[in-house]
Order: sequence, then C-alpha cells, then structure tokens
Amino acid sequence: MARVYVSSVIPAEASRVWERIRDFNALPKWHPRIRDSRIEDALPSDKIGCIRSFHLQSGDNIREQLVGMSDYDLFVTYVMLDGPQPWSDYMATLRLTPVTDTGHCFAEWSAEFSCDPRDESDLVTGTGRNVFQGGFDALKRHFGG
Amino acid sequence: MVHVVRSTVLEAPVEAVWEIVRDFNGHDRWHPVVATSQVERGRVTDQVGAVRRFRLETGEELREQLLTLSDAEMSMTYCLLDTPIPLLNYVAHIRLSPVTDGDATFWHWESRFDTPKGREAELGAAVGDGIYVAGFEAIRTELGA
Repeated sequence: MARVYVSSVIPAEASRVWERIRDFNALPKWHPRIRDSRIEDALPSDKIGCIRSFHLQSGDNIREQLVGMSDYDLFVTYVMLDGPQPWSDYMATLRLTPVTDTGHCFAEWSAEFSCDPRDESDLVTGTGRNVFQGGFDALKRHFGG
Repeated sequence: MVHVVRSTVLEAPVEAVWEIVRDFNGHDRWHPVVATSQVERGRVTDQVGAVRRFRLETGEELREQLLTLSDAEMSMTYCLLDTPIPLLNYVAHIRLSPVTDGDATFWHWESRFDTPKGREAELGAAVGDGIYVAGFEAIRTELGA
C-alpha cells in the first residue's frame, strides 16, 4: 500500500475549521481544485454511505463515498469509487485536533491506496502537494494564516 | 472521570522531540517538577512494562508503568501505580506528529483519572498545566523551539 501524509497548523479554533470542512458536499466552497459537487440520490451529506460526485477544475469527475465521520473526534473518512488516477482501494482521512495552548488547529490528511509501483512516487507526491497541501493552504489563507 | 488534554506545536523536527520524550526514565533530566527517577528491577527505559520510580521536587514519590511505546506511531501510554496525590486509575497518553509543511512537531498529551469529588478542577489543572504544559515549555526551551 502506498501512503500519503500531510499535516499543517491552521490559525483558527478547530471547531471553526470543522464547520468549514465537515460538509461532505462543500469541497467547491473551500478547496480551490474542485469546481462543483453534488450528493447522489438526494441523501444528506452527513449520512454515512452517501456519495459525492464532483469535478476538478481540469474537468475530471470523481466519486467518493463517506465511510466515517465524527463530530466528537473531528475526522472524516472516505473511499474513492471512480476517478482518473491509476489507483485502487483508495481510502483517506482528514482529521482536526485542537492545539490547546494557542487555540489553533492541527490538521492531518492521509490516504492509502494500491497502485503500480512505477506510479507510486508521482501519485504520492501529486496527491500530497495538490490535493492535501493545496487544501490546507486554502484553509490557512481563509483563516488568515 | 476527569479528562485532561493539552497540546502544542514545537518548532523542532519530530525526531528530535521524540528522542527526548521516548526515554521513559529521562524525565528527571528535562521536566522541571521531577527531581530524580529510576527504573525498577533492572529493566531498561524502553521496555514495555518497565516501572519508573521518581521523586518530585516537592518530595512526593510516585511509581508509573509503561504500557505502550511505539516508535512507529511516536506514542506512549503509561499509568500511575502509586501516588500520594489522589489521582486514581490514572492513564496518560502522549502522541507526537510531524507538521509536514513546517518541519515542526505537534505534541498531544492527555490523561483520564478519578479523583475525590470536588477536586476535579484543581487536580485537572495541576496535571494539565503543572505537568503537561510545564513539560512542553521545558522541551521548547531545551530545543530552542
């Protein structure tokens, strides 16, 4: 299994950052690489098992399914069902933890997937930089970091 | 049951912080409230099950046992065995994580314990601020972080 791990510190209370990212259908509102998103079958976006279908700015369509969410531990876990990347068994978790002495938020985004070993390095680097760090950079900008 | 959580970000690589923190018997060298410490029965400091017997600067003697030590997760769990301070069923957990976009360290330190009714806030602050935050600050100073 290939593994990607990216983490950052967002200069805002974890509860405020969570409010911004919790909605499984909200990627276009906070992630610059996502153009649009909808939840299939008119399900609520916090129903475990719901599927978001979204487009990247490049036009590629991706479908992901919510498999875990916690308002207590502040994490969301999802699997990818369809997408342009040459990988399988892709599962990712985005997790927030309060930094108690500053009132800021430690954010971790990790994923595991299977792929051809020749593609692994590019997929790990690309996902970590463009998707995960790109999302954190947008959150840091939004919250004034 | 009282739940104490403190966390911070140190401007130092996670490996440098872990090298200090993972030494279960090393706290008398860096923590300001610990005067002396020794591991009982000839065990080594990173042996799961090891018991450290230590004396605080205020004179109290305590014994704690190492329950979990993971270099892979950079985490450790330990419990109090004997204490003159009424911290009952005390189990503490330390976890370090890299902040990958800054070469910094996120340090999460938490515990749960029972204590006589009416002393929850006092002992919660004594543990959280007197031990955990004081420990953060000591390592921050030691590493210039």
